Amino acid sequence: MSDPKSARTNAELLAEFSVPSEPGNERLVMETVAEAVGGLDIRGENLERLKTAVGEATMNAMEHGNKYSPELPVEVRVEVVERDLMVRITDRGSGPPPSRGGDVPDLEAKLEGMQTPRGWGLFLIKSMVDDMNITGDDGHHTIELVVHLGAEGGK
Amino acid sequence: MAVRHLNVEVRLDTGVAVLDLMGEINGFAEEALNTAYAEADAKETNTILLNFEEVDYINSTGIALIVGLLAKARATHKRLLACNLSEHYVEIFNITRLSDFMSVFPDEESAVEEASVS
Repeated sequence: MSDPKSARTNAELLAEFSVPSEPGNERLVMETVAEAVGGLDIRGENLERLKTAVGEATMNAMEHGNKYSPELPVEVRVEVVERDLMVRITDRGSGPPPSRGGDVPDLEAKLEGMQTPRGWGLFLIKSMVDDMNITGDDGHHTIELVVHLGAEGGK
Repeated sequence: MAVRHLNVEVRLDTGVAVLDLMGEINGFAEEALNTAYAEADAKETNTILLNFEEVDYINSTGIALIVGLLAKARATHKRLLACNLSEHYVEIFNITRLSDFMSVFPDEESAVEEASVS
């Protein structure tokens, strides 16, 4: 078992910031994260995938965690740990963290009106990054997006 | 960062109702999208084309709005097509399976041509 402290010494913080929970602010987070990873080999379509995952995770945090209360921030931390890019997005949600979910939505059922047309967010996130983890405690939920920084610079 | 609200213009191209979408397709886009779709639906055509050339952002709420349009089209037996999506959004239309139910074309010309022969 590795020592968490020694693993952290290999972490490089790229950005840490927060935004109010207001509709549309996911775009601000997407662009700020894109700027923060500018020195990494994540470009083109890989960068677009990362931005979509970050945008959807931020929307979930603002909507489900913070109920779009502007005074409640969404906190974002971007760092490289070993050979992984980690983007952690934290809200002030309480109760058990949402399940990982992200199964393929049933489009036929949505088109037939048997399911809400919504419910694409977690699926998109899981499809856009290499791994996704959701954790939480009494006053916070965090979604962690992981992109392996291999030879191709991401998924 | 200011939200770019969606503007939509509706026109006819060789018997196809074209919705020129300009801006972001997100939760703010619902009224503009549905109003424009109703205008296109009222035209005497069986094919409605969504032109994404001036769209730079579609989020999951926007995907849900497009699902809603597709459901309306199916209910009235109209064809809904898409064109000028970026490479990234073509991928998203593929993984969400939207492209299984609405053909995606690289440009308006090829979409209209396909509509005229089928």
